[in-house]
Amino acid sequence: MTLTAPDAARRRQAERPRLDPRERDRLEHAFRVPRARFMLGVPIALVLLVWSFVGAEFNFAELGEGAANMGEFLSRLFPPTWDKLDVIVDLLIETLQMAIVGTVLGAVLSLVVAFGAASNIAPTWLYYPTRWVMNVIRSLPDLVFALMFVSAVGLGPFAGILAMTIGSIGSIGKVFAEAMESVDDGPVTAMQAVGASRRQVVQYGVLPQAGPLLVSYTLLLFEGNVRGATILGMVGAGGIGLELTTAMKMYDYGHLSAIVICIIVLVTVIDQASAVIRRKIT
Amino acid sequence: MTTATPLAPVPPAAPSDETAALPLVTVRGLKVAYGDGPLVLDGVDLDLHPGELVALLGSSGSGKSTLMRSLTGFAPVNGGTVRVAGYDLTNLRHGQLRGLRADVGQVFQQFNLVGRLSVLTNVLTGGLHDAGPLNLAGGFTGAHRKRALELLDRVGIAHKAKEQARSLSGGQQQRVAIARALMQRPRLILADEPVASLDPKMSDAVLDLLHDIARQDGIPVLVSLHVLPLALEHSDRIVGLAHGEMLVSAPTAELDAERLGVLYAGDDEDGDDDDAHGA
Repeated sequence: MTLTAPDAARRRQAERPRLDPRERDRLEHAFRVPRARFMLGVPIALVLLVWSFVGAEFNFAELGEGAANMGEFLSRLFPPTWDKLDVIVDLLIETLQMAIVGTVLGAVLSLVVAFGAASNIAPTWLYYPTRWVMNVIRSLPDLVFALMFVSAVGLGPFAGILAMTIGSIGSIGKVFAEAMESVDDGPVTAMQAVGASRRQVVQYGVLPQAGPLLVSYTLLLFEGNVRGATILGMVGAGGIGLELTTAMKMYDYGHLSAIVICIIVLVTVIDQASAVIRRKIT
Repeated sequence: MTTATPLAPVPPAAPSDETAALPLVTVRGLKVAYGDGPLVLDGVDLDLHPGELVALLGSSGSGKSTLMRSLTGFAPVNGGTVRVAGYDLTNLRHGQLRGLRADVGQVFQQFNLVGRLSVLTNVLTGGLHDAGPLNLAGGFTGAHRKRALELLDRVGIAHKAKEQARSLSGGQQQRVAIARALMQRPRLILADEPVASLDPKMSDAVLDLLHDIARQDGIPVLVSLHVLPLALEHSDRIVGLAHGEMLVSAPTAELDAERLGVLYAGDDEDGDDDDAHGA
């Protein structure tokens, strides 16, 4: 017995989508004339680039002429003076403490906000407002937050920590949300299929998959906060930044050099430690 | 034999004596379309009885995955009636969907395990619907853990309980997925292409396991397959879809490869896979 459906087969053959002959001809050629959008796009991009260089007053010649001054500035940094090493160490520890607290608070708040900003988790009514708030926070520099919190709670590391924490929500909150959105759908579907609640789907389907990325971004946040804390100190928000600015204003180049070397050592150690942790978790 | 003339839908086959109990799943005149698209399923009838393994056959795009999804609310029901384990899918009340899904164990082609979690935790997630308040802190009760380990014993990989799921072979991962489905204490198991990623030996082993579960636990198991010989060897009954219509529904003993050829007649190679739709 032969049970076939020849008519249906012929019908489907006839309905099968065909490649446009002109497109086929184009694809068959090894070298082809670029599309109009490419021919138009490249000159526009080049014009935009030149416009930006000119507007930003970027000038290699000027850099060459000033190289001697730069060399002179660098030469003044040596030799470093280590007579105030105890002050530098104390302030670096304070900077580190600010970065640790700022990172933990920032990461926790960012995680909470990210749940509302991940399209595969949050309902639409929550998703768009959360994304909008994150965009607003991200568009404001941390220094603005630092000045705001210095005026609110006074000079000191507390203002710096608050600035770092809020600033983190805009930047890390966004990448946290995108890490959650990029997880494999399969396990999420499996959790929905066993009748898990929304919280359980996130707990067992999303977070275990996004975990390594979340930790990696948190370490990146920490590294950034250590560097950021030195800048926040310039507006009186604690840490080594104020000492750095004072040394520059007082032309105390030996002390400035010692501070910079200590910051480089601290950042390098943290960077290496972060790399080890990242390797362990991925 | 219950095959009908080509492209003419057939009614569900009467159950054999062994599976004469009332059907746990009753589908009548099911129509499914995604959005404004064409009908993916058009007037499908299906009964699933306790204790039988039913193979669902059909080429890519025939509507197999959509039929499975429509039984658990992952695909819309645009017409007809679907009753699964006492739930009426055309009239689900708020909150019933989770209850329905908790009653239906699902096994997927790509296993859908959480690779970084341990084998044991993956199995435990099958019991999330009744995990209780301890689960708020990420824990499971001792009773849950004991049952999960017993199920791992049953599928033969308890010795891998502490390993990360991603470190297991494909066949082992599918066994974990089956244990996860059993953890739900399911009244029905749906397995969508569960052996499509496995080698022939492993495919036989997984289908044997599913058949044993159907017989020993007395629950219906619906398995979609691409390979005819596997369906003929491991199923009690075969239902076949072509272009969204059910063309075959008969006890496996009454069918052979030639008779099932109707499901693949005139197939071209670019069938739109209905896997692309929905969950």
